[in-house]
Amino acid sequence: MESVGTSEGVPTDDDEAIARSLAGDLTAYEALVARYSVLAHRTAAMLGAGDEAEDVVQEAFVKAYRHLASFRRDAPFRPWLLRIVANETHNLTRSRGRRAELAVKLTGLVPAGADGAGDPGDPENAAVATDRRTRLLDAVRRLPERERHTVVCRYFLQLSEAETAQVLDLPLGTVKSRTSRGLARLREEVDRDLT
Amino acid sequence: MTSPDEPGDTGSRPPSGEPESRPSSDELESRLLALGDSVEVPCPPPADVARAVRARLEALPARSPQEEAPGADPAGPARRSRRPRALLPAPPGRARPAASRRRRAAAAVVVVLTALFFGATPAGRAAVVQILRLAGVELRIGDPGPLPSGMPAPLPGEERTTLEEARERAAFPIAVPAELGEPGDVRVGDGGRVVSLLWPGVRLDQYDGTLEVVYRKDLGPPWPEEADVDGSQGTWIPAHHGLSYLPREGGAPVAARIAGPTLVWQRRLVGLRLEGVTDRARAVQIARSLR
Repeated sequence: MESVGTSEGVPTDDDEAIARSLAGDLTAYEALVARYSVLAHRTAAMLGAGDEAEDVVQEAFVKAYRHLASFRRDAPFRPWLLRIVANETHNLTRSRGRRAELAVKLTGLVPAGADGAGDPGDPENAAVATDRRTRLLDAVRRLPERERHTVVCRYFLQLSEAETAQVLDLPLGTVKSRTSRGLARLREEVDRDLT
Repeated sequence: MTSPDEPGDTGSRPPSGEPESRPSSDELESRLLALGDSVEVPCPPPADVARAVRARLEALPARSPQEEAPGADPAGPARRSRRPRALLPAPPGRARPAASRRRRAAAAVVVVLTALFFGATPAGRAAVVQILRLAGVELRIGDPGPLPSGMPAPLPGEERTTLEEARERAAFPIAVPAELGEPGDVRVGDGGRVVSLLWPGVRLDQYDGTLEVVYRKDLGPPWPEEADVDGSQGTWIPAHHGLSYLPREGGAPVAARIAGPTLVWQRRLVGLRLEGVTDRARAVQIARSLR
C-alpha cells in the first residue's frame, strides 16, 4: 500500500480524515463516522438489522477503524465501509436465525410526481400515490432475499452496480442478473395490481 | 446511474410517443428510486454515533488502527487535540506544491466538519461567528470580507444538456417548479452530482447528497432567516454573498463567485438552492411548486 506522500491523484476529504485516523487521531475518525452515519443506518436497516441497526452500525464503525490499515487508499471509502455494515448485518440476522426483513417504513411525504400519480397537491392523487408506494414497498419486501438485497442497494441506497457488488460481496454479473430478476418480478406484481 | 440490464423485459406498458414519458423499465426504476427516498429509517444524530464510537475505541486496548499503518507515527499529532493546527500538519516535504495545496484544502474541510460537529474552535470564532449546515450547504456567518469578484467558474465537468438527459445522468430525481415552467437551459456538473436549471435571471441547483458539504456560502448581515418549504426547514439568504462549490472528489473549492438572494432547502435527500428571486415569498412559492 502506498504511503500518504506518494499516493497519486487528488486527495479527498475522506482521504485526509482516513490519513489522520490512521495516525491515531480519533477526532478525525469521529468526523468520518458522523459523515457516514445516516447512510450506514439506512444500509443496516434495509439489509435486515431491524431495531438492532444502531448496534450494528457502531460495531461496523469500530471494526472499520481497527481494519483501516487494510483499506486501499486509492479506493472509495463508502463501499468499503458499507461492506462491513452489510457483513455485520448478515452476522446478526444469521445469529438470530431470522429472515433479513426490510425494516423501513414510509414517510408521510408524497414525492411530487415522482411516481407518476399526478399533482400531489390533490388529496385524491396523494392517496393514490401513497397507495402505489405502499404496494410497491410490499412487493419489494416479498422479493426473495438475494434479489431484494441487490434491488435495495441499487435503488434505495442508490449504489452503482460496482458498489453493490462490493458491498454484497458478489460478482458484478450476479448483481446484474439478480437485479434484473428482481425488477422482472416487481414488474409482474405491479402489472397484477393494475389489472 | 446506469440502468441494470433488462434481459427478457416485456415492459409493463408500451412506451408512448409523448416526450414526457419514458420506457417502462425506467419507470419502475424511477419509482423505486423515489420510493427509496421516501422510506424512513430511524437514525440517531450523527454526532452522537461518532461520540459513541469514539468512546468504544478509547476503551479498546490498542487505539491505533493497525500496526502496519503506513506513515503512522505513534508519537504523532496529539490524538485529543481539537486545535485546528493539530489537524493541519505541514504536508510531507516530498509532496508537490499543487498536491500540497489540495491536501491543505481537504484538511480544511475536515477541520470545518470537526468544528461543526464538536463545537467551533476559539480560533474559528474570531473569523466566523457561526457555521450552519443544512441541505448540503455550509453557511459561514460573520464578517465575510469583500465579496468575490470576477467571472463565475463552471463546476467540474459542467455540460449543457436537456432535462431528459439530465434525468438519466443524475443519481437523484430532478424536479421542475411548475411556477417557472420548462427551464431555458439545463446543465449537469461534477459527474451528475449537480443539476442546474436556468431561467432568465433565475437558477435552481439540485444536488445529490445533503450529508456532505456541496456549497459554501460566506455571508454577513442581513442574517439568513428560516423559511418553511412544505414542512422542511429551509433558509432564506437575503443578501448578496460569496458562493464556493466543493467538488465531490475533494480538492480546492471552485473559485468563489458572488451570489444573489438565495433560498436553500432540502427535498427528501436532494438539496436545492434557488438563486435570483429577490422576494422571499415568491421564492418559497416557486419552491413549493416543484413537481
